[in-house]
Amino acid sequence: MQKFISEQNLNTLLDTLIAAGTRVVAPRMNAGTPLYEPLTSAAEMITDQLPRRSAKEAFFPVCEDIMTYEKEGQKVTVTDIDPSRFPETVLVGVRPCDAVAIPVLDAVFSWDYKDEFFLERRKKTTIVGLACTTADDACFCTAVGLSPDETKGSDLFLTPLEDGGYDCRTYSEKGETLVNRYPQLFSEPTGSKAVPLAEPQIEKFDLKKVKAWLDENFENPDWDSIATRCVGCGACAFVCPACHCFDIVDEGTEKAGKRRKNWDACGFSKFTNHASGHNPRDQQPKRYRNRIMHKFKYYDDKFGQTLCSGCGRCIRVCPVGIDIAQIVEEINKKDI
Amino acid sequence: MTKPIDTSIYTAVTDAIRTEAQRILSEGQVSAIVGYAAARRKGSAQPIVISQPDDAAKLIFTPACVNNLAVYLTKAKKEIPKSGKIGIVVKGCDLKALSGLMGESQLKREDIYLIGVPCAGVLASTVQPATELTTDSIAPKCTECDAHLPTGCDFVPAQTPVAADLEKKYAAEITRLEALTPAERWAYWKEQFSKCIKCYACRQVCPFCFCEQCLCDRNKPQMVDTTPRPAGNTAWHIVRAMHLAGRCAGCAECERVCPMDIPLNLLNRKMAKELKELYDHEAGFEVLDKGPLNMFTEKDDQSFIK
Repeated sequence: MQKFISEQNLNTLLDTLIAAGTRVVAPRMNAGTPLYEPLTSAAEMITDQLPRRSAKEAFFPVCEDIMTYEKEGQKVTVTDIDPSRFPETVLVGVRPCDAVAIPVLDAVFSWDYKDEFFLERRKKTTIVGLACTTADDACFCTAVGLSPDETKGSDLFLTPLEDGGYDCRTYSEKGETLVNRYPQLFSEPTGSKAVPLAEPQIEKFDLKKVKAWLDENFENPDWDSIATRCVGCGACAFVCPACHCFDIVDEGTEKAGKRRKNWDACGFSKFTNHASGHNPRDQQPKRYRNRIMHKFKYYDDKFGQTLCSGCGRCIRVCPVGIDIAQIVEEINKKDI
Repeated sequence: MTKPIDTSIYTAVTDAIRTEAQRILSEGQVSAIVGYAAARRKGSAQPIVISQPDDAAKLIFTPACVNNLAVYLTKAKKEIPKSGKIGIVVKGCDLKALSGLMGESQLKREDIYLIGVPCAGVLASTVQPATELTTDSIAPKCTECDAHLPTGCDFVPAQTPVAADLEKKYAAEITRLEALTPAERWAYWKEQFSKCIKCYACRQVCPFCFCEQCLCDRNKPQMVDTTPRPAGNTAWHIVRAMHLAGRCAGCAECERVCPMDIPLNLLNRKMAKELKELYDHEAGFEVLDKGPLNMFTEKDDQSFIK
C-alpha cells in the first residue's frame, strides 16, 4: 500500500497513539544526546540526527530484569518476569541501517533458545522506517549491500518528499494495520519528488570475498597492526545495531534481589576470561579479531547473514579511531 | 564569536616528528614509537605503534591527534612491548600523565624517549574529524591549558605554539554547578549518569586506570553493581573520580571518549580544584615521589576532625 502523510499528520498520529496508551519510541534528545526513547509528545521527535545508540534497545534493552527473588525465613520465592505485560509499541523514525539489523537479530534470538523477552517485544512492535537523506564519511550501508532507502525490517517506510511530508509504503500486515487504524491521517500519493537520498562514499564490498579471506586468516599479523591500538572498551559493541552479546548478573541482598541481563562486549578482557584464570583471547587484537570475524564470517556461517549494516556508529565513537569500513575495505582489496 | 585557532605550525611539527622518529629508530635508540597516523576518514588520526624507520613517514600531528598515548605505556596495555626504550609522541597534557605514572613507579624515565609536541590545541571530539579547529570546536581542556610547550623531553620541535586566550570552559561550568543547590546538582548528575551504558571507555583510555583487577569488575564480593542502572552508574563514576583525585593529570580523555556525552572531566576538575585548595597540588611536568594523598604532613587540613 502506498500513501502520503504530512508532517503535521505524522505528529497527530504519534500523539493519538500516545494518548491511546501505545508506547511510541523515536529519536529524541536526552541531556544533549540523541537516543531512541519513549516520547511523551510527538514534538519531541527529531528526524535530522542518527541516534547515538541503535534501535536494538527497543527489543534488547541495555539492562532488563529477567527474574526476581525474595527470601523470608527459609522460604525463597522466585518470580519470573511476565513478557506478556510488555506494551504495544510503535518504533518511529528508524534509520534503514537500524531497521535492517532487527530481522538479523531475529535469527539469533529465535535459534536454539527462543528469547521470549526479545521475541515478545518484537511481536508487539510496529517499525516505521525513515529514509536517510544525509550521510557522513562514517556511513557505509551501501558498502554492505544496503541502501539509504532499504525497507527490510520496516513495517511501514517513510521517504521525505521535496514538497514536505512523506511518501509512506507498507511492507507488512502490521504496517497496513497501523495505516488502516487511522485512515483519515493518510491520503493518496501526491506524486511529489522524494528528497535526494544520502550517498555514502565507500565502494561496495564483495562480502563473499571478505569472508573467504577471514575463513583462512584467523592467524594473521594484520590483526596486530589493526588492533594493537584497541583499548578494550565496549563502545563499538554497545552502539552497534547488530551486536547482541549479553551477560547475566544477580543484584540485590540476601533477602531480595533481581536477576538482570546486561549488554556485554567481546572487546572486554573479561569477556572470555575463564574461571580458571585462563583467557584464550589474552591480547586485545584477538578480541578485536572476534568482532570482525563474528560480523563477517561466523554469523554468515551460522545464519547466512552479515552482522553489520554499515551505520558507522562504531567508527564515530571509537576512542582510538578504529575504522571498521577501512578494515573491511582493505581485506576486500587483498589478493586471495 | 567563533574564531579559528592558529594551527599553522602543525605541518612543520609533523615534519620534525618524522625526522626525529626516523633518526632514533634507525640509530636503534628506541625499539618502537607510539605516535599518531592518518586514517581513512578525511582529517582523521589514530594511534599507531611503529618499529621500522620507514614508517616514520606515517606519523602526523594535527588537531585530530586527541589521544593521550600514555595509556599505551601502562601495564594495562600488554600488547605494547615493555622491554627496551620506547618513543612516544606527547602533548603537554599527555606528558603530565606520564609524569604521574613515573611518580607512581609505573614507568621509568630512562625507558622512554619523549617527543614533545608544541600544541595550540586539539579537537573536543573526533566524531567528525574533518572539523576545523576553532574557539568552538577546541577541546575544553585546551581552553585552560598551561602546557602548550612540554619541557624536559628528549626532543621538542622548534616551533612555538600560538596559544589563544580563551574562556576557561571547565572553570565556568564548575562555578555554575557549585552555585546550584545540592538537590539541583544531584538532579543534574542523575540525568547525566542515567545515560551511562557501562562501556568503560572512560576507564580504558585513562592512563591512571591501570589496575589489573578493576574493583568494578569484581563479583566476589561485588563491590559495585555492574548493571547500567542508576545505582551502579553513580557508584562507578564516583569511585572513578575518587580514585583519580590527586592523580588525574587533566587529559580529559574520559570525557572525550564517552559515547553518551557525559561531562566526566567536570568531576576530575572539581577534585583537582579541591586538591589545589587543600594541598596546593597541581598536576605538572615534575615527577613527584609521592602524590598529595599518599603522604601526611602536619600542615595538612585537619578541619574534618570534629
